[in-house]
Amino acid sequence: MDRFVRPQRSFNLGRLVRPAIGVLVIAFLVWRLWIVFFVQQAYGPETWVRFAISGIILGGVYAVIALGYTLVYGILFMINFAHGDVMMLGAFTGYFTLEALNGIDLLNRSIAWSIISIAVAFIVGMLVAMVVAIALERIAYRPLRAAPRLVPLISAIGVSLFLENAAQLVFGPARHTFTNPEVMERNIGWILMVNDKKVLVTYTGVLTFVLSILLMIGLYVLVQRTKMGKAMRAVAEDKQIAALMGIDVDRVIANTFAISGVLAGAAGVMWGLHMGIIYHFVGFIPGIKAFTAAVMGGIGNIPGAMLGGLALGIMEAVAPAALGIPFQLKDVLAFSILVLVLIFRPTGLLGEVLAEKKM
Amino acid sequence: MNIRLILRDGLLAGIINVFIVLLGLTGLVGTMVIGWFELSSPEPGAWTLLLIVALWGGMTAVRHAECKAWGEALIAGLLAGASHGLILAVLTWGVSSLVNSGVDVRRWLVQLTPDAAQLLTLGRPPVAGAIVMFAALAAAGLVGGVWTHVSAHYKMRESLGSRWSETRTRFLAVPAVQNVTQSRYSLYVLYGIGLLLLFAAPLKLGQYWNYTLGTVGIYVILGLGLNIVVGLAGLLDLGYVAFFAIGAYTTALLTAPTPHGIMMDFWPVLPLGIAFAVVSGVVLGIPVLRMRGDYLAIVTLGFGEIIRILSKSDALTDFTGGPRGVRAVAGPSLFGINLNNEFYFMYFIILGIVLVIFITYRLQHSRAGRAWMAMREDEDVAEAMGIHTLKYKLLAFVIGAAFAGLGGVIFASRNKFTGPEDFTLLVSINVLCLVIIGGMGSIPGVVMGALVLKGLPEVLRELDDYRMLVFGTLLVVMMILRPEGLWPSTRRKMEFRAENEQTSERAGEQLELTGS
Repeated sequence: MDRFVRPQRSFNLGRLVRPAIGVLVIAFLVWRLWIVFFVQQAYGPETWVRFAISGIILGGVYAVIALGYTLVYGILFMINFAHGDVMMLGAFTGYFTLEALNGIDLLNRSIAWSIISIAVAFIVGMLVAMVVAIALERIAYRPLRAAPRLVPLISAIGVSLFLENAAQLVFGPARHTFTNPEVMERNIGWILMVNDKKVLVTYTGVLTFVLSILLMIGLYVLVQRTKMGKAMRAVAEDKQIAALMGIDVDRVIANTFAISGVLAGAAGVMWGLHMGIIYHFVGFIPGIKAFTAAVMGGIGNIPGAMLGGLALGIMEAVAPAALGIPFQLKDVLAFSILVLVLIFRPTGLLGEVLAEKKM
Repeated sequence: MNIRLILRDGLLAGIINVFIVLLGLTGLVGTMVIGWFELSSPEPGAWTLLLIVALWGGMTAVRHAECKAWGEALIAGLLAGASHGLILAVLTWGVSSLVNSGVDVRRWLVQLTPDAAQLLTLGRPPVAGAIVMFAALAAAGLVGGVWTHVSAHYKMRESLGSRWSETRTRFLAVPAVQNVTQSRYSLYVLYGIGLLLLFAAPLKLGQYWNYTLGTVGIYVILGLGLNIVVGLAGLLDLGYVAFFAIGAYTTALLTAPTPHGIMMDFWPVLPLGIAFAVVSGVVLGIPVLRMRGDYLAIVTLGFGEIIRILSKSDALTDFTGGPRGVRAVAGPSLFGINLNNEFYFMYFIILGIVLVIFITYRLQHSRAGRAWMAMREDEDVAEAMGIHTLKYKLLAFVIGAAFAGLGGVIFASRNKFTGPEDFTLLVSINVLCLVIIGGMGSIPGVVMGALVLKGLPEVLRELDDYRMLVFGTLLVVMMILRPEGLWPSTRRKMEFRAENEQTSERAGEQLELTGS
């Protein structure tokens, strides 16, 4: 029997890898923070407040998208690569709605009409995104539910490619700018005074943040307090037993995708209103960052996704300045956070709710 | 006769046709066909496309609704065509009336030029054009439905199939043919002829073809490298372009006068480029390969993007040459002869491909190959059987990185210039597509995939805009219909089909249990 036992090495180099990486990262962070805060002191407090505010707003958007990822992963154990593109389609729908409303002169007729227009844009965007998400599930994921893990993943990549390029061909590769109503232009809002300097809190930013919080609360209530939410939790825990209990698994999965679509659509319209520029590839990077946020919070874990999104948003806004890294490398920061989280705490900050499914 | 199914098929075909119009394919196909048949206008080609889709809609409607009688088939086809036609009629009317009233729809829907509107309405006013569209598509649906019914009635498909297999068996039974297929030398003769052609070809091809086929060849090398990672070991790597970039940048930075001025020769740089790629494969692999498939995909994607962003960033311009890239990369020279043109590079690439194929083949049929097979099917069981999964995953990753490094070195010195825009995510996706569509884990599949997916777009230049769209569609369609690829290895085919049979059994049990 001794032949089947792997010989124990007295010194296993592999075990040093994680602590070594950890030490390097911490040393790097401490060095950069030292330089920025004590040596250069380039930024005053009002700049930090500005960064923090934009970070919180961005974090709200990331959280909403991350919720979509987490929902789908919790039920199907697959990453919906096309989620970012559903967000892009929601953004485009919002764009067209606002353009149409502007064309028939309804957008700026009065403050009430402006508010109604924005609400309509959101609703239409969320509806279209929902339809797209449901269609996606029906066409590209449902036939592959029983296939080995790699297959639905590749299908998701294919869908993502398809949506991005279809959007490029149909809507054109040029950047489109959202036409906000005049009362909600991207550069007006409330003024805070910090350190005798003005800090602008835009109306679009406040709308985005408030809406994100509302959506998160709504989702939490849906999942915890309603019958559909209970069914979703049951299917996430064990599909076969849920089917035995009389739950229509197909319908629950379709509903999950519908909800994730609604969230993505809302996030898309929010992105358009606040950031202003949309194009066919706009969903790609926020999609990956939102996935990072979902993983940070613990995939499958709804409060985790919310916290992860907010944390990532703030980190992304504050860290480049805090660490003295050029802003161009902002995305590198997000990817590095992903890698570090997956190395050191793959179950996420709040812990993974569902056990790893062996396939 | 299930009306709901009929309407659904009609609607689906309608949506496809709307899509075709919005994507501008009507105009494109119309203009392409003009060249082939020497027509005078794009209308015939465009309308043929639309009518074919309507035909198909009618066919599927009748097939799904299982019509028994002629009358039913007629009505089904007509209904499908009519629902389809209605959607397109509304689109035609909407677009042409908007265009006629002077609104420039192109601001939002780029492909709807006034010419496109013209195509849809055939030069008639909006309402008339819409009615014509409706009638034509409804008729096409009818014809499609009737055709399916006829072919099902006279069992055309089965008789064709049996006639084909009959002819085939009779052909193979002829003694002369038997001699060739059974003889053990025939395969060697085939290989010999193939190799001869391969080595003689660069002499005959002009510079243009040597260049394009050279690019295809580099993608073959990349594809075979990714084949080891994705196809043999089952690790979905979306950041493969990073290793390609490292090989290319190593060559560039070590041989070009700027930014460092280390003017090394090509030959010492070749192993150095591969070595750097290998080292980065190890550095990336050790922390990353413990993760699950989905996470691995995103992390490798992130790594690929990190390499691209870093090489493009202004902050690191002193080291990497920045967004403008590195120029004047050296080419190889042997005994004083400058081997720096397309012709010799073609031979390089061919040698590279042969080497890579050889290594892949030997690995596949070795202990490592068997370990990969076991890990693909069930990682925990493989670990329990004593296979050191991390070691073998790392091996696959590193060999893939080495091949990408080789490709990168050849790429950089052939182009004599390299920059961050050569190493976008698109390259990774392209290579992934050709591995998956060609056949995961199968060497001839990957080579064929590279030839088709990289070579065809060179030939069909007009369709280049639609290339990634087609790739995305192909990926989804292939995963649903034929996940093992177009030219699969038999092992993989068995793996994918076995999974389906097993789970359909389980699904059957589940249905019995729930009593539905």
